[in-house]
Amino acid sequence: MRDVKSSVYVSRLTRRESLKWLSALAATAAFPALTACSGEPDKSAKAIAGVVEGHWPELTLKPVNAAGYGKDPDLIMPPESPWPRLLSQKELQLVADISDLIVPQEGEYPSATGVNIPDVFDEWISAPYERQQNDRKFIMPLLVWLDDEAALRHDMTFTDLTEARQKAILDDIATVDDNTGDAYLRPAEAFSRFRGLVLAAYFSSPEGTRDIGYQGNVAIAGDYPGPTDEAMTHINRVISELGLSEYALKS
Amino acid sequence: MDNTDIQVLVVGSGAGGAMAAYELTRQGIKVLLLEAGRDYDPRTETPMFKRPGDAPLMGSGNVDKDFGYYDATVDGGWTVPDEPYTTADDTEFLWWRARMLGGRTNHWGRYSLRFSHHDFKGKTRDGHGADWPFEYDDIAPWYDKTETLVGVCGENTGHEDMPDSSEGVLQPPPAPRVTELLVAAAAGKEGIRTAPMHRAVLTRSQDIRQKCFYATPCGHGCSIGAAFQTTTSLIPMARATGNLTVITDAMVKAVRTDVNGKATGVTYVDKKTGKDIDLDAPVVILAASACESARILLNSASEQHPAGLANSSGQVGRNLMDSTGANIGAYVPALRDRPRYNEDGHTSNHLFIPWWGHEAQEKGELDFPRGYHFEIGSGFREPGNWVAGDFQGYGEAVKAEARSAYGSYIGFALRGEMVPNEHCYMEIDKDVKDKWGIPVAKFHWKWSENELNQVRHGLETAKKIFANMGADPGELPSPEEAILKGGEIIHEVGTTRMGDDPGTSVTNEWGQTWDCKNLFIMDGGVFASNPHKNCTLTILTLAMRNSSWLARQIQQGSL
Repeated sequence: MRDVKSSVYVSRLTRRESLKWLSALAATAAFPALTACSGEPDKSAKAIAGVVEGHWPELTLKPVNAAGYGKDPDLIMPPESPWPRLLSQKELQLVADISDLIVPQEGEYPSATGVNIPDVFDEWISAPYERQQNDRKFIMPLLVWLDDEAALRHDMTFTDLTEARQKAILDDIATVDDNTGDAYLRPAEAFSRFRGLVLAAYFSSPEGTRDIGYQGNVAIAGDYPGPTDEAMTHINRVISELGLSEYALKS
Repeated sequence: MDNTDIQVLVVGSGAGGAMAAYELTRQGIKVLLLEAGRDYDPRTETPMFKRPGDAPLMGSGNVDKDFGYYDATVDGGWTVPDEPYTTADDTEFLWWRARMLGGRTNHWGRYSLRFSHHDFKGKTRDGHGADWPFEYDDIAPWYDKTETLVGVCGENTGHEDMPDSSEGVLQPPPAPRVTELLVAAAAGKEGIRTAPMHRAVLTRSQDIRQKCFYATPCGHGCSIGAAFQTTTSLIPMARATGNLTVITDAMVKAVRTDVNGKATGVTYVDKKTGKDIDLDAPVVILAASACESARILLNSASEQHPAGLANSSGQVGRNLMDSTGANIGAYVPALRDRPRYNEDGHTSNHLFIPWWGHEAQEKGELDFPRGYHFEIGSGFREPGNWVAGDFQGYGEAVKAEARSAYGSYIGFALRGEMVPNEHCYMEIDKDVKDKWGIPVAKFHWKWSENELNQVRHGLETAKKIFANMGADPGELPSPEEAILKGGEIIHEVGTTRMGDDPGTSVTNEWGQTWDCKNLFIMDGGVFASNPHKNCTLTILTLAMRNSSWLARQIQQGSL
């Protein structure tokens, strides 16, 4: 899909200029508080204080008013589409692009789109529950921000960029450290949520569950076999290295 | 069975009500059981082997399904549609309810620890709360009978806080996971022992139930009956006697009484039609859950019982207790990249940390009464809506971090005993009624220094154990921040407490209300104290013992 050029942004220059103007304004505007990013208290403190450069779209999202699945849903055959999905085809494509950068195809294991993560993502973003609506407040602006950033840098949508250029943008927001510019703190916080969702959706797929090495959810006929010899050897070494051998349970 | 044959009417089909129905019908007594929720059959409705990824939102919880999509709870959770409860200003209290046959036994943790001689006489020891009207030795044989019937796996450890069961009662516990072996060694360095958790999970098949096959979290329910719930055990067994009739969608409003103050039956709402129906019965047992039974009593006031039925002591709704709860956990670097194997086991902790502080408490070294225990959360869980790891970047490096961090987190859940205080109680909210026109419960709650000091001690102890594992749970929160809300552990008890003084208790040691001889309480409401060991096994045990006593009274014609 990389060669498909977007025809949406007819007035890109105007858009680009307005973004620059917005960035200047944003530095002095009062921002809604961000959820603290656990690893970087100083950074998020700065973000909360509104000492933020760069651009960040202030979207007015319509509240999701769809009904949930209720308190007695069918647990054996869960509903296929419990509520209307809200992402447009273009947004789904953008989610697919980012998801495949987060979870690329690797050996025998498929990429994010190989296990339909955009669909899981759409269901999540569109759900009428508090946790999901809260995630939506971060994710939807991030989708706009990525296109805006792509427009600022290359005068294109994110989807239309080469993978190298897409990665260059992600490089600025996917790793938060002392070098992270203030302009990237808000997209970085949103990206962290995005990444968490994509990872969860991938590892909870049958392929991802195999990838991470989960071996349960199979019926065992006799007694629970407990740890393998390899696992016991490993834990005994751990216990020994921690100086705890004398306190270990005697089998 | 015609309803006119009823000898005992039981309200509630959870632990207390189903056990009462089982014991009475077994002895040839005709029982009518009312359940406020819908009929429910775990054999056909339990999502066995279902993966979180197959459920909406990766199985995560929300206001519709608080504990996740597959949690067995039907039409309930922290909220029940059309059936609100209220809390006093500046009070937080959570009340978990289920509206289904079998009640909360369909999803409970199955932890089944006996109370000990310490637990039944707490007031004698430290002056707090109330003693129970019997000794451990009086109830020990009933624990044996209940554990045998229910099916409890575990081990006699000789631990001071864990009374032994009689030989042959317990079923073998599953082998510990390596994470639990690490905790055992780390706790051992602090002089603290671990022990196999006792759980109402069959590891050997018995009667109509299959043994555990070590897959599917017990909270989903158990279609093979391995994880105890009344809907796969006591209720079908009681039905098989031919002496049990069950009516579901029957929400009891009040116990009716006659001019002499004796119970004559109940009024319930048939939820399917919305109509009130009166039922007559010679004996009524309330086992609707501690707060629901107290609500019924308080809503059953009459000329003979002006303060509410069985409330001449003024204790109905008082002495409300939950367990204390707090969570602390950490990433354990030494567990990174550990060898994979199937760690489902019986899907809960195989080892836990029982209360070790009796001696220190006797010496006056602790600034809180009563004890607590730690449940250990760990293992290679089936991936769901959250992935552990310290993530930076994207791509293969992020996936590698997820694989490395998988199974390297350990969490402790503190569960402790609170002592009752005057600020913790429920009453009827005079201004609010539910959809059925029944005045609702209103809660009042405040933790005391006893609980806060206990939680502080627990967090500090846990931090030492984590440090021994080379793990750092970070800066500890204050106990006020760490302690979970009242009701949140779902061990609410005490609202109709038993005792040997009609002036300070609601029932005698048999659960028979002092004020109304043919009215019994057989849920957690009768608890005189709330030991930290999870209430269901003792609810089951008391219901068996007290129904057996009731059967004798009926057979002797002494009611």
